[in-house]
Amino acid sequence: MSKVASVLSLEDPPWPPSVDEFFPPGLFGVEWLTKFMLMVWLAIALIIIFFLVAYRNPKIVPGRMQWLAESIYGFTRDSIAKEVIGHEGVRFAPYLTTLLVFIAITNVFALIPLLQISPNSHIAFPVMLALITYILYLYWGVKAHGAWGYIKTSLFPPNVPWPMYVLLTPIEFVMVFLMRPFTLSLRLFANMFAGHMMLLVFTLGGFALLNAESLFIKPLSILSWGMTVLLTLFETLVALLQAYVFVLLTSSYLQSSLAEEH
Amino acid sequence: MTGGQLPQPPKRSGANDGWVAIGYLLSGILVWSGVGWLIDRWLHLQGIPIAIGAIIGAIGGIYLVMRRFSP
Repeated sequence: MSKVASVLSLEDPPWPPSVDEFFPPGLFGVEWLTKFMLMVWLAIALIIIFFLVAYRNPKIVPGRMQWLAESIYGFTRDSIAKEVIGHEGVRFAPYLTTLLVFIAITNVFALIPLLQISPNSHIAFPVMLALITYILYLYWGVKAHGAWGYIKTSLFPPNVPWPMYVLLTPIEFVMVFLMRPFTLSLRLFANMFAGHMMLLVFTLGGFALLNAESLFIKPLSILSWGMTVLLTLFETLVALLQAYVFVLLTSSYLQSSLAEEH
Repeated sequence: MTGGQLPQPPKRSGANDGWVAIGYLLSGILVWSGVGWLIDRWLHLQGIPIAIGAIIGAIGGIYLVMRRFSP
């Protein structure tokens, strides 16, 4: 870009977008108090307030807020917990609902003006969530079968001639104890990271095209911003879908921990 | 106390099936080619154990996928 053009442009957009975007600085001189931290607190506060207010004065014929809260809980309990885990699943419904709402809200932050980034696009947050799920299904597996019984049901598939165990048990071990938490956190992280990056590329790319010297390139910025609008709609879908997938997989893992054989 | 006493097992939703299949195939190949790699480093056989390990792992992974999804 020539010197004249960069002076003419009102503000020089940072181009190209980099990974620094996902490492916001600490606020008020406190290193760990980042934008992400505040957003997580905001999400927790929103969830607590929403469910408290919705159930503060429950009625037989629910009001609008109570209806919404009941629909969310009912959906998680009936369509996820009962459907995947079975009758036992009802006891996990509160945790699964909290997880669903928390991930959905923090994902949707990526689309709210001024917030515009999801904490889940920083690997630490999905890792923590996956770790909770990991500990939960290990705990319930051990509780349901005993430590040795759980290892036996998850590592030694039944109805297999015993020499095959030499071949299969390491594979099952990697699947159950390593791949599950890894893919669970990575899937959420990668989706939110890529979504934020795409929106950045097309938004800032629009400015970069507008600042181009050639008059023929400038109108292309409209195209770039049009893509931003489309991708924002797409991101809404991804944000909610990823929350659903995370909860669905959590309950699927719980189911395989509780089941006699998988 | 939990699990197996259900009158009928819950229907599989199918949402996780693709991941399970990919996971088995990949981890089968990764685990056993990893073992092959270790043997290769130990005995210096020019990578042949890695190839053998990958094939064995693929067999194991396919076997587990078939066992999981056959009725």
